[in-house]
Parts: sequence; structure tokens; C-alpha cells
Amino acid sequence: MSEFFNKTAATVLACALTLFSAQTASGYALHRIVADLRLSSAVAGTSACPVPARRLTAAGSFSVQWSTSLGSSPLTVLTQDQTAAGRLNEIEQTIQQSLGVWTGVSGSLLQPATLAPLARVSSSTACAADGLNSICFNQPDAGFTPGILGFTRVITADHLGAQLANGPAATQIGQILDADIYFNPGDPNTAYATPQALAAHPAAYDLESLLTHELGHAIGFSHSAVWRAMMAPYAPAPGTFTGQRPTALAPDTPLAEDDRTGLRALYPDPADTVHTGSISGRILPANVLALPAFPVGVSGIFGAHVVALDAATGDVVAGVLGGWSCGGDGPAQFDGGYRFERLAVGASYRIYAEPLNGAVDPTAVSDTTAALCRNSATDAGWPAAAACVVPPVDTEFTTRLRSAP
Amino acid sequence: MSYAQRRRFLLLLFLAGLLLIGIAANATTFLRLDFSRLTRTATAVARLRCAASESFLENGQIWTDTRFAVLETDKGNLPSAITVRTPGGSAAGVTAHVEGAPRFRPGEEVFLFLLAAPGEPFRVLGWAQGTFRIARGPRGGSERLTQDSAALPVYDPARREFRAEGLRNVTVDEFRARVQRALAAAQ
Repeated sequence: MSEFFNKTAATVLACALTLFSAQTASGYALHRIVADLRLSSAVAGTSACPVPARRLTAAGSFSVQWSTSLGSSPLTVLTQDQTAAGRLNEIEQTIQQSLGVWTGVSGSLLQPATLAPLARVSSSTACAADGLNSICFNQPDAGFTPGILGFTRVITADHLGAQLANGPAATQIGQILDADIYFNPGDPNTAYATPQALAAHPAAYDLESLLTHELGHAIGFSHSAVWRAMMAPYAPAPGTFTGQRPTALAPDTPLAEDDRTGLRALYPDPADTVHTGSISGRILPANVLALPAFPVGVSGIFGAHVVALDAATGDVVAGVLGGWSCGGDGPAQFDGGYRFERLAVGASYRIYAEPLNGAVDPTAVSDTTAALCRNSATDAGWPAAAACVVPPVDTEFTTRLRSAP
Repeated sequence: MSYAQRRRFLLLLFLAGLLLIGIAANATTFLRLDFSRLTRTATAVARLRCAASESFLENGQIWTDTRFAVLETDKGNLPSAITVRTPGGSAAGVTAHVEGAPRFRPGEEVFLFLLAAPGEPFRVLGWAQGTFRIARGPRGGSERLTQDSAALPVYDPARREFRAEGLRNVTVDEFRARVQRALAAAQ
């Protein structure tokens, strides 16, 4: 690999020459949806292209409430302050800081003003598909089984006008209407600690790190495979936390550059004149016989980790799951395409393409890949012209980068 | 990139990997269920072929019911077809997404560790931990199983450490033998 890229399109040829045996490093992934084209074009449009799930960014449009119903047997959330009021304040401060991490990134429209004041609710069943974003520490859910400590449920609009009970009607396809974070109240082996309490409770999970990660899902992220990214599918070990603690001057400190680039791509600020660069290309096999026979029409490597490194520092700036593109009315084409957006101009980048055969494998991104297509098997009555089938992730290629044509 | 630069890059990635040994849990945060506990806790262990999935709204949440043909039962008693319920899906004009909840494609074959509740569809024990996908090599060959959670080290509270114990690339016979050994040990 020897080429530098700077706001240029590049073509990557994947050839059976160089095997990467290192731990894989890839990048942010956005939760995407395909509009429900079984509905009228007036509400669903005409495009089968996957669109990223995202929130509105108007002032006060992102409201979050948290349930003050906390487990007591076992204690679910550990705090330094043991008074009733102090305990709630400490948890609330942790939630505020976690939210502030995502609204503290320059070049993104998700700004502090986007947040409505954090609200408390006493109900132990605050998490529901009701258009209210809720955090629940003590709410059972039928989704829990043994072995599941917590999860986030994100609900997005498949068409314009989609609406949940108390929420506004969607004005964008893919608009996030509701996101609820559940912590399993029934597991006796697990506790979560605020940053103030973590040192005294080394067996507890860092509440701030987990909340920040889950809130990343709540604003539209899937998992990243950049090791140090907040959206990597791994939480820090008990007693430790991800990155550095946020500060008033640098609220986004816990994030990796991959997280920031993803956020800028998801919520681009038109006034941002720094992060306007893009790099795109395709990953093609040296031998077309290496392409899968099914589904038909696959013309490039699907599921490669494509990683952009800062050429000066070697730092991972961003990564994407490559292998597809979509134009016009779609559906997605599996042509090996990839695209980086919102990169800082004036810098040079190196691009790597690697198979997902390391510590992160295709199962870790299966949700991301499955969302690219809808068809009659996934959705009865789906129009054939808008249908596609996601090919299996190719983990058997090796790569060599060649000069751009 | 020069050879030296590439060596440096690979070394950095390797060191980053070392730093992460002993950490982790998934964003949907998993608690470790080892194979023995999976087998003991599951109501049934079976090889299934996905027929179809349907999502719907119930009690204010979206769920997906997947219909499977039962091809083989390694624990428990199952009818010839069963339904498995997982959180998330698309219904009523919205899509509910739960990172880490397994999804199945029609025609796909899997081994699942199932939990039963009276009058309700089955659930997958531990989601990714109870899901073993069956695949063949690119040029045919024998079937191999990989646990969905194989890439996701999970926390073992007894040892206070994270361990990546998921099964990767095991044969069907080896998988069956593991189930039988776990069942025998539990008796």
C-alpha cells in the first residue's frame, strides 16, 4: 500500500497478495433503513436506497427522561453520595455528561441547544414505544434472557408521518422517533457506578461509558470496529472507563476521531468549512470468479473494512463498511463501493481495505448489513423493482492498494 | 507506505489488541454464559431452518417472530415447526432496532439454544450467545458452526475478567458432542 489520498477518488484493487494478520481496525457504522415502498410515494418516496437513521437537530428537539426507579436488591446503580437526593443528582450528572459528549463535537449540528432539559420520571415502566427517549434502570422487559445485561431499542420512521403515541409525526424518513436504554434489573452479578463511585467499586461497570455508548445508538450509530472508538462493540472492563473523562472545555474527549467523523457525516454542519473532504472508491476482486454466485449482480467485494489513516500521524480518522453504493431510486448495488465523508481538508490520508476476519467478524456488523436491503422474503408484498438481497460478507480476500487511475 | 511504516502500523494495532485483552462486553451488554450453562439453562437445543419472519407491534413494542422448521433436536422435545421471538423489527410504519438481537434469513440454518415460556414463542437464550450459524466453505466442504458471540468477549463475574470463549468454526459433530457432554455432566 503506497498511495496517499487527499480529496480524491480512488480505486482499490483487492488482490491475493498481502495478508493482514493484525487485529482489524475499521470504522463507524450508521444504522440505516429502507423506506417502506409498499406505501404511497407521497409518504415513502420512491427510493429504495438505505438512509441513515438520524434525529432532528432543531433547538430542544432531543429530549431525554430517566426513571428514578432504581433497583435496590441488588443495588443497580452505585453512587458516592448516599443521600436520596444526592444519589439522584449524581446519576443525573452522569447522564448529562454522557449526553454532552455527543453534543460537544465541532462540525456537527447536534449541539447543546439540540437537547431539551433532562427530565426525571418516577415511573418504573418509562421505557416504551411512546416517542419519549427514556433511560430505565429497573424495568423488566420480555427481551431479557439470562446473559443479557442491557440494551437500547431505537425506533425509526419508515415513512413520512409515522408517529408514536406521544411523539411528533416524522418529517424525515429514517427519523429516530424513540430510543430507550434498558439496564437489566434482574441480574444479581452486575452493578453500575457513577464516575465518582467507580474507584470504590472496581467490580462495577462505568455508568458514564455505557451510557455514552448507548446514547450513540440513540442518535443513529451502529457499532464501529475501531478499537478505541466509543462505538466499538465492547464496553470497558469493570472498574475502568472508555477514553478520558469529559471536561467542560473538552466535553467530547471520550470520543475517538472515528466517532467524531461519523457524527459529522450523520449531522453535517453546513457552516463547517474544515471537514468537507471526501474519498470514495471501489474494492474489486482480481478474479471475478471469487465473487459469490448468489445473489446475482454482485460486482465487488462486500463487507470489507475500509480505514482512513491520517498520513502524518498514522491515527485512524475514520472507517466504513465498504462494498455497496446506491444511486437514484436504488436499491443498493453491491459493487464494492465505499465513501468517506466529512474529512478534514488540507490533510493527507492513507486508505486500507481489510477483511473482517480478525477480532471483529461479520456477526458484529450483521445488523448493519441486513438493513441495506428489503425484499419479499423480509417484507411481504415488497415491490420486486426495489428489492435486493445482501450478499454474505467476504472475509477471504487479501489486499494490495494500487495507484488511483 | 514503506515496509517500516507498515511494520509500525501493524505493531500499533497489535499493541492496541493486547491492551484490550481482558476487557469487553457488548453494547448490548452480555454476561458470559459458558457452553455448559447454555446447555443446562436452555429448554431445548435444536438445528433449525428459517422459513420466514414477521414483525408486529405488541404491548407497545415491536417484535419479530421467526418461523423455523425443526431439523434435529439435541435437547428437549420440539414439534416439527416452532416460532422464535426476538426484539425489534419493522411494523406499523416504524423500525425498531436492537443492536445484538439475532436476525435470521429465510433458508438459513442455525443451531439455537431456546427458552420456552408457557403459551409464548421461544426466545433465544443469551441472544448472540445462544445462536450458532451453520456455514460451508466457499468451495463446499463440511459444515462449520460459529457462535454469534464468538467475536464478543463477555464478562465472567466469577473470575472478574472478560473472556472470548465463543465457538468458531467447529464441526457439527463436535458441536453435538459438546452438547451431549454438557448434558451428561449436568445429570
